[in-house]
Amino acid sequence: MIRLQNIEKVYRTNTIQTLALNSINLDIEKGEFLSVMGPSGCGKSTLLNIMGLLDVPSGGTINIDGQSTISFSDKELAKFRNQKLGFIFQSYHLINDLPVLDNVEVPLLYRNSTAKERKTLATAALEKVGLSNRMKHFPTQLSGGQRQRVAIARAIVGKPEVILADEPTGNLDSAMGNEIMDILLQLNRDDGTTIVMVTHDEFMAQKTHRLVRLFDGSQVQ
Amino acid sequence: MFKHLFKMIWNKKKQNSLLIVEILLSFLVIFAVFSFALNSYNNYAKPMGFNYDHVWAISYNHTLETKNPDSVTLVYQTLLRDIQSLPLVVDAGYASSNIPFGSNHMSTGITTNGLYVDRVNNFFMDENYVNVMGVKMLSGRWYDKGDLASKTNIIVINKSLKDKLFGNTDAVGKFIGDKPENRKKVIGVIDDIKTDGDYQAPTYGLYNKQDTAAYIWMGRILVKVAPEANAAFEGQLYKLMAGRLKKSNIEIEHLDNKLTAYNKFTLVPLIILSIVAAFLIINVALGIFGVLWYNINKRRGEIGLRRAVGAPGSSVSAQLVYEAMILATLSLIIGAFFAVQFPLLNVFDLPASVYLFAMLFAVVFIYLLVLICSLYPGKQAAAIYPAVALHEE
Repeated sequence: MIRLQNIEKVYRTNTIQTLALNSINLDIEKGEFLSVMGPSGCGKSTLLNIMGLLDVPSGGTINIDGQSTISFSDKELAKFRNQKLGFIFQSYHLINDLPVLDNVEVPLLYRNSTAKERKTLATAALEKVGLSNRMKHFPTQLSGGQRQRVAIARAIVGKPEVILADEPTGNLDSAMGNEIMDILLQLNRDDGTTIVMVTHDEFMAQKTHRLVRLFDGSQVQ
Repeated sequence: MFKHLFKMIWNKKKQNSLLIVEILLSFLVIFAVFSFALNSYNNYAKPMGFNYDHVWAISYNHTLETKNPDSVTLVYQTLLRDIQSLPLVVDAGYASSNIPFGSNHMSTGITTNGLYVDRVNNFFMDENYVNVMGVKMLSGRWYDKGDLASKTNIIVINKSLKDKLFGNTDAVGKFIGDKPENRKKVIGVIDDIKTDGDYQAPTYGLYNKQDTAAYIWMGRILVKVAPEANAAFEGQLYKLMAGRLKKSNIEIEHLDNKLTAYNKFTLVPLIILSIVAAFLIINVALGIFGVLWYNINKRRGEIGLRRAVGAPGSSVSAQLVYEAMILATLSLIIGAFFAVQFPLLNVFDLPASVYLFAMLFAVVFIYLLVLICSLYPGKQAAAIYPAVALHEE
């Protein structure tokens, strides 16, 4: 599903050059649930951003669902992200000025879908994460766990093949973290969604199919 | 997408209220400037209605010692004949002090067939006025010598007053004034003349005949001279006047010079208002620019998220522009509500078309201003790198 070959990422300033990722090779199968672990600053989020086509590598190739994305234009990348990928972030990234339902609809705004279709799909996504009774609430009226569930609903509303989750339980207590993890596991199990999750939590990582460890930008496991 | 953006703006109405008020105020000022300018242009485009070139206005005050009306009449009639006989004079005639482009105005109100018309300019002219000023008779006739000597109550009116009182029908032979003491028969209708300069609309006008008793207070002689008339001739004319009206304050002015001076009464306020508006527009432009810039920096996370979930850079840029346009539209809806009261309530007595066009131009201007001010911040928003913006949050 996702194939990374010799991925490198170098950050350059006038005076310093930092190697964030060093020759990463990774094959992620369709329907796999992979977790990425490592100490802070080891390049986990950079790797996830590159997989999510939010950042471009300094070297190497990326192949998602059989398509090489290196030569994609900005518009093609946006369309690809919109149709194939779903994102979950540690800090949720919900739009506080919009109610929950509208937040979930956001990815569908960039598709040719009608308002009715958007509402149907967003409602279904919220039902899936158990938040159908909070559709008209604003994010600030929700708990951390509920906000992350809204973020998951937003990630799955477009039925993506891959979900990229950057420390989805990082801001939550263990009970809420487990709830979120259960939802992700369920999505992977029932819908066959491929999930790549960056985490610091060894316990959560153990629940996934495979664990990849990074250290100083290099893959150590 | 529009509904989505509108909902977001509506939910942030408190934060957006300052910008909405700022755009609203600038719309109202621009509407005022455009109304003023359009009205002035409309008036400027209308014909002057008479030929003021080579027309001189002699002002004098009545200083004759004799109280005998016949003697007074004889002196003034002789004086006019002598002026008319000067080699470079085409024609001359007496007029009341409210000559064109002067600061004196005499106005009255008249009721005809129950219709009251206010602010009607009341002119007193002799039989030579039409010839001296090149005024066009639209129907009927101007006064002749016989009229000036007779006691009949007759009047000449201008086209604006005729249209107001009698519509499209011919006014000649009809009466104005419902009260017996004011009742006068219309004998002629003259074309409108812009007595208050290029930029002021012609007003309603009553042109009364000047009888012999009026010589002692008329105070003006209008003289049409040949193009060759120069300062030396002006001196000759002055001497003639000074010789006949001893101790009188005599002043000779050229109507074209008076027009230039009079036009400044309109142009100077328009220029001042335009300068104030220009400063306000610069202020508003900087305000819009600043608020959008601030919004972008505050909303980097949201912009990063939109990019992540599938918005191309152009879409993010367009979103910022649309948001600014929606805010402008909210301001303009409120502004249009106030602006439309002007034609509805007939404020300042300007034609409704002036207000409507001014409103249209002001709306287009505001949209253009907002568009220009939002393009660059929109471009900057599109350039936000999603990976960086999402990491910042």
